Formats: sequence, structure tokens, C-alpha cells
Amino acid sequence: MSERLFDEAFLQRLERLALVARRAMAGQTQGERRSPRRGQSVEFADFRPYVAGDDFRRIDWNAYARLERFFIKLFVEEEDLTVHFLVDTSRSMHWGEPSKIGYATRAVGALGYIALAGLDRVTVTGLLGDNGGLAYFPPHRGKQQAMKLFAFLLELQKPPAGNMARSAIVEQPSTELRALTGVARSLQNYAATAPAPGPLVIFSDLMDDGWQDGLRALAGRGFEVTVVHLLAPEEAEPALEGDFKLLDAETGAGVEITGDYELLARYRAELATWQADLRHFCAARGMGYVPMLTSVPLEELLFNWLRRTGVLR
Amino acid sequence: MSFLAPGAFFLGLLLPVIVALYLLKLRRTEREVSSTYLWRRMVRDVEANAPWQKLRPNLLLLLQLLFLALLIFALTRPFQWSSGLTGEAAIFIIDSSASMAATDTAPSRLEAAKERARQLVGELPDTARVTVIEAGQEAAVRAASTRDQRQANLAIDAIRQGTGGSDMRVALELASAIAARQPGTQIVVLSDGNVSLPERMGVRGSLRFLPIGTGGDNQAIGLLTLDARPDGRLTAFAVVNNFAAADVTRRLVLSADGVTVRAYDLSIPAGGQQTLTAEDLPDGAQVVEARLDGADLLALDDRAVAVRPAARAVRAALVSQGNVFLRTVLALLPGMEVTEVTPEDAASLGSFDLVIFDAVAPPDPLPAAGNLLFIAPARGTALFGVTGVLQTPALRALDAGSFLLENVDLSQVSVLDALQISAPDWAVPVVAADAGAQSAPALLYGETGGRRVAVLAFDLRHSDLPLQPAFPLLWINLTNWLAPGLRSDVPAQVQAGESLAFPLPEGVTAATITRPDGTRVTVQAEDGRAVFADTTALGYYQVDLGEERRAGFAANLFSEQESRLEPAANLPGMAEQAGAQDAGALQGMREWWRPLAFLALGLLVGEWLVYQRAALIRLRDQLRRAMRTGERNAKP
Repeated sequence: MSERLFDEAFLQRLERLALVARRAMAGQTQGERRSPRRGQSVEFADFRPYVAGDDFRRIDWNAYARLERFFIKLFVEEEDLTVHFLVDTSRSMHWGEPSKIGYATRAVGALGYIALAGLDRVTVTGLLGDNGGLAYFPPHRGKQQAMKLFAFLLELQKPPAGNMARSAIVEQPSTELRALTGVARSLQNYAATAPAPGPLVIFSDLMDDGWQDGLRALAGRGFEVTVVHLLAPEEAEPALEGDFKLLDAETGAGVEITGDYELLARYRAELATWQADLRHFCAARGMGYVPMLTSVPLEELLFNWLRRTGVLR
Repeated sequence: MSFLAPGAFFLGLLLPVIVALYLLKLRRTEREVSSTYLWRRMVRDVEANAPWQKLRPNLLLLLQLLFLALLIFALTRPFQWSSGLTGEAAIFIIDSSASMAATDTAPSRLEAAKERARQLVGELPDTARVTVIEAGQEAAVRAASTRDQRQANLAIDAIRQGTGGSDMRVALELASAIAARQPGTQIVVLSDGNVSLPERMGVRGSLRFLPIGTGGDNQAIGLLTLDARPDGRLTAFAVVNNFAAADVTRRLVLSADGVTVRAYDLSIPAGGQQTLTAEDLPDGAQVVEARLDGADLLALDDRAVAVRPAARAVRAALVSQGNVFLRTVLALLPGMEVTEVTPEDAASLGSFDLVIFDAVAPPDPLPAAGNLLFIAPARGTALFGVTGVLQTPALRALDAGSFLLENVDLSQVSVLDALQISAPDWAVPVVAADAGAQSAPALLYGETGGRRVAVLAFDLRHSDLPLQPAFPLLWINLTNWLAPGLRSDVPAQVQAGESLAFPLPEGVTAATITRPDGTRVTVQAEDGRAVFADTTALGYYQVDLGEERRAGFAANLFSEQESRLEPAANLPGMAEQAGAQDAGALQGMREWWRPLAFLALGLLVGEWLVYQRAALIRLRDQLRRAMRTGERNAKP
């Protein structure tokens, strides 16, 4: 591997962190996470009357001695947890210095490593319109799978091949445009097909109207969603003074502006309003919302912001 | 408003070009951004609008259009016809004589003339050459052919009010000489027209006379003399003239050595005069001042000073067959000792200050010393010739402003016959005797061979002049001139601005002169004589000769010409010349491009500021922040 996401020292620091699941969720195999199911751990959960067919090894004989009736002892089941990472890999994420996608993949790598170290399953999906299947890292478990994860993430950083047919897009009406980006649909698909709901972290710049529908679908499936809203510094404070025709990196559509002080002030106000709307939307559905500039160091995001939001411990 | 270069209006076609450039947005640079999502959210109203709506709030476009419009307007060189001057060169002759101090055009005629001159200079094209000539007692070029209007204005500002007459003749000659070198020169005379000029005077260049002044309401003290009798009694003689068009009553106040002693209410008819004799003034009085109370247009001539004549009398010889008129008038003249001599003894005359030959043949050779007055000389002398006789000539004043004719009216005088005298080079004819086509000087004067000589061409006994009031006045004028400074070493009276020379006593090398304003000047003697020229201030000048020896003289404005304030419509003798030039109707073009260009420049700066306002606001915010942190740091 020519590129490495992290060095050893950073990974060692990461091992001290752990992902938090706010409530118990059903897993697939035996693990270290509390599950809503009853099972065979050492932690007592409940009694229930014996019925024919139960394993008589689990009859509580002390209870029978006192009450002369059979009761079965139930224990808490501990299972593993599947942590989902969704990364927006649209063209707009490849913009900025450092690029937002690079920042997102490094963040996913770090969080995924934490999850793997905590014996959880990790799955990563790159959201690129409809062809979500192309960039899919199926659930893996175990720290030894970290290298595989990192390799996948490096692959994900590469810009999508082939230019978009801009002219065709510009002439498309807005509904078609939305269908093409299709964020809402791919999120709905993901919500419908994901094997086991669990903590889910989305890295995106959310520069699309379809996000809200998609997030709604994920919340409905029972995911614990945290939205990391990534913005490049140039997007927060654009240095656009003069007359420009702004070209959309994704669609190629142009917007003509005359950048002066008032317009830029209005832009900043609009950005703040937008972020406030998103925060409100997320809070109303129990999602975490972390607005983040790519100029903020990754350590700051992991050891400060995400702990504060309650994603990490 | 008209335009010098209306073709520049075609540049107005550039205005739509600017608008078109804005419409086409040729200047937009393309910039790729991650997403136009936010921009679209914000500028939804701007995007996809009709082209002209892009122009709606564009301050820059507005400023640029205004700037271009102003620039084009300036390039068309708009101008207005104004009452100014055109041409490549202009000469301004500004009269600074005493009459220009009249206050009928506030603050004074001179200031009004200067203001008008400055205005005309300002209206001249930048390339015009400006000459400024002051016509004071002496004509002087204050600024010569300068293209620097500021310098011309400074020269105009530097002109000060004079107290004498104006030498308009020399000023016009100077102007004419300058105009001869510069084609297309306009000569502008700013004066009240009360000047004396030769009858025919050729002036090169186009002459324009701008009369200054409106009124003529003025009274003046025309004469003030003191007569000290041998017994010490002092008598003042004053003449007050009224030059106004209405009868007036003015109060004349006499003060002796600063103490008011008499006051007279004088009723003076319009255009007339009132004489006054004040006898028995205080014996010891040295300086008598007459003052007209109240105000008129010219204050300079409302005050006159006379100095008590010194004791030394003029020794005069009267060579005559016996003339009762002359004997009487000479006896009346103060301070004159007259010795009568018969014609037979004339050849062996002693030393006299003044010799009067009354209708006798002058001796040959003439007396070696003393000034001479010839009355109807029977034959010519080395100084002049007699060529014939004119029968019943009419007298005509050639130079009404001459000091010899001051207060003298010769129009009523009849003469039986007058000698035809050929006027020599040194003489100035004052009165002419016209008989039909023939004309000869009847009174002439001049200086020749270091002496003053005057000739009266007719016998007093062949005229009624001795019976007229003009006779004693003429004699005072004549003897004042013929015997000046003889009464005292220091003359008692000078015209304002006139220079005077007086001999200093033995052993005295310098005289200290205290001027009316109190400043003192020390004059060094040259060849035993002191020469003092700075007599422009009116009033009493005290002369200290050292060792308690004191004298004094008075500088007065006794000038009918300057006191007669009624402005003339034209320069005397220049009527037809200036009339052909459409006098007064000066026309010039006043161009407007300068303020327009300045305005355009201001707009350009404004446009730049608007364009850079984001940077400016950022700078302001940074400054505020820096100041705030500075304040915070300053707090303990």
C-alpha cells in the first residue's frame, strides 16, 4: 500500500476510544454489545414459567424449592453491533483543499478502526447516485480487517471516472436533476436493504435537496444517525469579488453573480440559516448533527466534537 | 449655451456600448465551485432573469455612464456668450487717480474697476497675453504680456489708490506701443473718464472704454491760501466748488493748529462755487485746515491744509509805462515786494526773483536771473517771436485742466487785439486766441534756460479781463508758478504727488520730513538741495531742518478735474474711434469644460470607491477590531 491513512501512534490513540450505542440493538452473532434478546450471558435478566420444551438445565431449582413450581432463569444476550458509515462521493465532495472526500475517508477510517477494535461489524458505502453497489464495503469484523477497510477507503478517495455530460444536464428540468443525483433514493434503498440497523454516520456536504427524505427513511428504520456536515473553508467564506459565472462541479449548471460585500454577507447569512434548518431537522428526529470545516484537524473532530455529540466515548 | 466642438456628441454612441458590455457580461470569469446549491437558494431571483433586469441595481454602471456623459459633454467644449473679451492679447489700463476713490460704486470706483478687470482677465482664454497698466500720476506697466493670469491678477491687486491725477496719455502711448507688437490686442480702459488727453491721439489696437462710476454728487475745496499781513494778522481765502447737479449747503470748518476756530454754512449753487475770506485768524497759527462737514462721494477733496507763508517776500520788478490794474493786483498779492521800473531802466535791472514786462519792448539781452512774465511784448526776444496781430480774437482754453486755469473762467473775456506769438518748443500753450481761421496762443508757459517764463499775448488795457473775477485768480496761479518757493525756502503748497526741491540752509545736510500719517523720512542733501517726491498722502508735511529750524508744506488735491466726478461716456477725443468699436458691448466666450472635467474626475474616484468598497469595508472592520483589541489591552 503506497498511501497510508494513519500512522501507528494515531491508531494507538484511537484504541482508547469506543463507539457508543445509545440503545440496545439486535446483532447477528455473539458479541460484546447488549442485545434486546435474552440469551446466555452471566447477567440475570428475568424469570418466566417453564413450558414444555425448555432446556431444563436453566430451571431455577432454588425457586422450585420455595414455590414448588418450575421457573426458567433468563439472561441478557450480548451480541455484536453493525456500525454503518455512509460517505457522499459526489463530485462536490472532491472539491476543496484538502478535499472533503479525503477528510471524510480519513474520518471513516478512524471511526471504523475504533469499531473494529471494539469487536463490532463495520460496513462502509459510498453514495454515488444510484450505483451504490459499486462502492460497498460489506460488514467486516475484527481488528485484522482494518487494512482491508483502509484499502477500500483509499479506493473511495479517487475521483469518479468519466466526465458528466454537462450540456445534457443543464437542459434537464430540475426533477430529472434530482433523480440523477438520487441521494434520497439511494438512502431509501440503503435503509431498506441494510442487514442490521445500528449506529450510522453520514459524511456529506448535503448540497442537494434530496437529503432530508433520505435521512427520514434511515431514521424510520431505526438507525442511530449522526450527520457530519462537511464544508470546505472556501464554501464558508467564499473569496468571490467581482463578476463570476459559478459552475456547479456536479451538474455544470451556471449561476451568474456579482460578488460584492452585500452579496457575500447575504451568502454567509444564507449559509447560517441553512445550517440552523438542518440542525433543527436532525434534532427533531433524534439525529446528531455535526457541522464541520475541513480546515479543522481530524483529531479535533474525533477527540472533541464527536465525543461531545455522544458518538464516541 | 453653444458648443465649440459639437462633433464630440457622436462619442455619445459609446454610452450604449457600455450598456451592451454590461448586458453581455463580457467580464464574467468562470469559476468552478463545489456546488451552486447555496447560491441558487440565494440568488434565485437574479438567476434566469431577463437581461435588462441584471442592470437594475448596478451602481457601477450608473456611475460609469454618468462619467462618460460628463466627459463627452466636456469634450464638446460648451460655452456661454458673456460680456467678456476675446482675442489673444488684452491690455488693461486702470485709472488710479484721486477721482477713482469716489464711493458711488461701493466700495470705491478703483475697487470696482479692479474687480471688473479681474473678471475680464478670468474670462480670457488661457493663452491670452495680459498687460496691466496703472494710469496714476505716472503711468506704469504693472504686468507685461504675461500668460499667467494669476500674475495679472496680482498686478491688478497691487494697484493702490492715488491722490493725484492720471497720466492717461502716457498710459495710452504705452498700450499703443505694446499693441503694435501684438496683433489682435484689445485695450480696455477702466476709468471714470476725467482725464486730459491731446485732441488727436492715435492708438493702435482696438480701444474700449469701460466707464466706472455713476454719480457726480461732490463738493470740493478748490483752493485754500493763507495771507499773513506784515502786522501778523492771518487771513484765509477758500474756494468751495459744487460739482453736483443740485444746490447744496455744506458747512466749512476751519481749524488752526488743530483747534476749530470758525464754521461757515455755505450755500453753493449747482455747478457753481462759493468763495470765503476768513479774517483775523489766531495770530500764531501755523497750519490752517479747512474741512467740509458731512459726506459726499469723494472724501479726498473735502479737506485742505494751508501753511502760514514764510516771512521772506518775493522781490518782483514791474517794467511798465504805468498800469493801475497790475499795480493793484500785485499790491494785493501777499508776500510780494514790487518795484516799478520804467522801460528806459530795464536794461540795467538789479537782481529780482520775478520780472514782469508789461506792454513794453523787452530789453536785449534779457535780465540774467529771475523768472520772466511778458505781457503783450512789443517785439520778439531770444525766447519767442512775434509775427503779427490778431484783431478781436476769442479766447479758448486749450487745456482746461491746467493749473494756470484753475478756478479761472476766460470764456466771458473780450479782447481787442492780441499779438500773434509763434509758440516755441519749450512752451505749453494754455489759452488760444482764435480770430477767424487764424489761431495763436494767448497764454503760454514753460521752463527754458533754468528759468520759468510765461507770455500773455494781449495787453490788459485792451481787454476786460481786469474787470472779471478771473483776473485775481489767474494772477495767483501765475505768480504761484512763477515765484514758487521764493516766499520761503520750502514751498508752502504742492499738488499731491508732485515732487519738490528746496535749498537747505548752510551747514545742514539732511532734512527730516514728517508725513501726515506720522511716518518720518530723512532726505539727504544733494548739492545743497533736498528733493522729496513722496507727497501722495494729502495733508501737512513738517520739515525739520535741525537746530529748531522748522518749515512745512501742505499737499492738497486742488484739482477740478479730479473733483468733477460725473463719469464721462467716453475718453475725451476718443468718441469716434471708440464708437466705431461698439463700445461697451464686449462679448466673450466663457467655456464650461473645466468644472465638467473636475466633476467627471470626482465621479471616477467615486466609481473606484464603489468598486473597492468591499476592501474598504474590510479595512474599516479590521481597523475597528484593532482599536477594540487595543482598548481591551489598555485596560488593566
